[in-house]
Parts: sequence; structure tokens; C-alpha cells
Amino acid sequence: MPSDDPQLNNLIRECSDTIAEVYEACVASQPNFGVSSDSFTESVTDSVSKFLCSGQENPPSADEVREFVRSIRSDDLFLAIACAEGNERAWWEFDHQHRGYLERISRHLASTDLSAQEVIDLVYVELYGTRVVDGVRMSKFATYSGKGSIRGWLRTVIWHALVDLHRASHDEVSLDGMTENVGEGYTHSTFKNKDLGGEDQMIDHLAHEKYRKATLDSIRTSFSSLDDHEKLLLLYYHSEGLKLREIARLAESPGSPLRDWFQRRSAAREKDPSARIHESTIMRWLDKTYKLILERFCSELSGKHGLKQEEIDVCLELATRDLADPDIYRNLASNAG
Amino acid sequence: MNNKGIDRDELFREILSAYLRSDIAAIEFEDRDHLDGDTIAAFVEGNLSEREARPVNSHLVDCSFCRHRSAELIRLDLEFAEESAKAPEAKPAPTKVSDVLSGILGKILGAGEGAVFAHQEDETKEEEDRKDDRGESE
Ligand SMILES: [Zn+2]
Repeated sequence: MPSDDPQLNNLIRECSDTIAEVYEACVASQPNFGVSSDSFTESVTDSVSKFLCSGQENPPSADEVREFVRSIRSDDLFLAIACAEGNERAWWEFDHQHRGYLERISRHLASTDLSAQEVIDLVYVELYGTRVVDGVRMSKFATYSGKGSIRGWLRTVIWHALVDLHRASHDEVSLDGMTENVGEGYTHSTFKNKDLGGEDQMIDHLAHEKYRKATLDSIRTSFSSLDDHEKLLLLYYHSEGLKLREIARLAESPGSPLRDWFQRRSAAREKDPSARIHESTIMRWLDKTYKLILERFCSELSGKHGLKQEEIDVCLELATRDLADPDIYRNLASNAG
Repeated sequence: MNNKGIDRDELFREILSAYLRSDIAAIEFEDRDHLDGDTIAAFVEGNLSEREARPVNSHLVDCSFCRHRSAELIRLDLEFAEESAKAPEAKPAPTKVSDVLSGILGKILGAGEGAVFAHQEDETKEEEDRKDDRGESE
């Protein structure tokens, strides 16, 4: 069934040669999966719509669609479509290729009160699908787009299955704890109470509040002014507590946009686009981002709030002291309306 | 370090860190607007192009729920990659998929539904032999 979007349907028609080429290669490698050209095209159309159209300002060009189609994991997608359609051969192949991996991931994740086997059972049932809508069985495989590897997708399916199992057995679920959750971001930002001597007493309450509000406003504005990849880097490190090597792993793929963004103007990138991303590289990206946001923070305080250099230092000292109250920013934000 | 002996960089990092952990910038999303597992998996693997990643990045900045899920999956990805490097994947015991699925579905749905995977023994055997001949294994 074609998509509801006529523009997308036209694009898909324009790229039908590329889709047919990829489809033929899949059929040649798995002739018994019984996937029709129509269902393959439908699945590819859904993936194009999801990744190239939704949330985008401009529709993709035909060349972008062709590049996308060539970039998908077509063998994995072909297998997933066949499994979603209930093809026996495909299920055999899936089980043969991936069950060992599923078992290992489940053993790695399952806690003492949940056996890995229970998780596998649950995942297989979800993959097969037990809900029927308008006569069609809702297989989890139908949600796989082929954009990432099928194993990466399976990891996500298992992880979510485990969260659901925990939720069922514990009412309330914390998403933490299935993997180690204490990263460097948490530890090295530990608050130390600064001794401000008598200075604090000299600042009256009103001035105090003025500095606090100016600090919050400036930190919010300077953070908002960053690009999304810079914000995400800071959030992963400080809010999620990801370790440098975990962020490095995320940026490691040669096609990683995180890497592209940070290294766009870097001479090193030009010389060696496949160079490994080390923890020190992430630290450099963080340092660059800190420098940028601190500059903007200070210029907000001096420009918009008219504070002198000494007053900026007072703001920083007060804010550091405020860290003893973890809700200070939340309270200030709600007071500010 | 400025003339008052204050290390602005260090103080600012502590403040920024506390601000980011306080999560006041997060936006509440409707369930249907969250990123699905497939998108997060492709993002975590670094498989999205710049165009594809842009809306994902922007959602992860605004949505602490999805960011948290993605962070957990990044951790899992690395942990599991390290574990796999230490102990390479063992070949799974030969199995018949119909047994696996019939067993599971039978347990959950009752015996009747499990029969959906009652398939031709010969075909599967033939497939197994074909694979063995090619020496295919994980
Ligand atoms: Zn979300």
C-alpha cells in the first residue's frame, strides 16, 4: 500500500530503479523468504518517511532517497519483513543467526529474579506478535527500519522487554541500574562548600536574589544558544553521567554526525577521517564547549544584566554555594515564572 | 584564574553541571511523540546521516525520557562489546525454530496457537544440511 503522502510516493517512484536493484540482490541471496517487491517497497517507503521526511523542514531530493536506500541494511530488513510476514524459512534463519546473540544479551541484562530464558520467551512472542489489528498480526519486526543493524535493534527490544518485565513486577520502574549508572560526570562535579569569608554577609538579600536570577537567566540563555550536538554532549556527560569512553563509542562510527559536527573544521579530520575517537578527543570537545558557553554566559551577565567583572565573580561564587541545595535552579525557575 | 584568585572555569563547570542535572529545560512529550526503539538503536550505532540525526538530536536535547533510554543503550552497547571481545560468541545449539516458537507460543497462548509453526520437517532438515555444507555458522 503506498503512503498517504503523494510527494513521497512520487519520490519513491522516481527511485524505483534503486529500490528494485536492492530488492533483487536480497531475493538472490534469500530466494525462499517470499517477500514481494511491493512489501519491500512499502517497508522502504516507511523508513524513508520516518528518517528523511518527518521532522524535516524540506523534503529530501531523489538523490538523497537513493543514497538512503543504498545505506539501509537490506539483508537485515529483508529478513525482518519475511519474519513479520511469518515466513518459516526466515524464522529459521533468524533463529539460527541471532538466537545465540539474544541469549547472551539476555544473560548479560537479566537480574536474579528474571531468568534469561523468560526474557527470550517474551522477546520471541513480541517479535512474532500476538495482537491482531484489522486481520493483520502486529509483529515487532514490522518496526525495524533497516537503518541500524538488526542486532542493535534487538538489543533495544530486549532492553525494553526487561523494563516492561520490571515494571510488571515492581509497579514503579527506574530505568537506571540495568547498566552501570555512575559516570565521571557525576563524580567530578561533586560540590565542595566554598568558604566565602565575610563577603557573603555584606551582600544584602536583594542583591543576592538579583545575582541568582541573573545567573540562572544567563546560564539558561547561554546553554540555549549552543548547537544541539553541543547541548547533547553536555547533557550526556553531566545529566546522564555517561563516561568519556561511552561518548567516544557513540562518536566512533565514521559516519557519526556527532563526530562530523565537532570535527567539521578540524584539520585532523581532513587528514584522517577514519581516525579513532579517544577519550581525550571527547574531553577536547567538552573543553571547547565549556569555553564557548562560559564566554556567552559572561557576556550575558555583563551585556544584558550590566554586571561588572567583580559582580560576575560574585554570581559564580553564590551559584557554587547554592549547589548545596539541589533544587535551587528548579525553585528559581518556577519563581521566575 | 582571575585577579581575585577565582577559577572561573572550574566554578562555572560545577554550576553548569548542577543546572543540567536539575533538568529544568526538559519538555514533557506525548507518548506517541517519543523516539521509537528503532530510531534510538540506529542513533546509538552512529548510523544516521546528519540530516537524519538532526531531529533525533533535537528531541534528545529536549526530552529527558528518551535521552535517558539512549544513554542506557549506549552503556549497554559498550559493556556488551567489551564482554563479547573477551568471550567470543558461541555457536548456538542446533534447534528447530518451530520447536522454539511452538513451545513459547504454546505456553502463552495455549496449544492451538502454537501449531501455527508446525512446519514441514523435511524442509528444515534440508535447510540445515545446506547450511552445514556451506560451513555457515556464527
Ligand atoms: Zn522522548
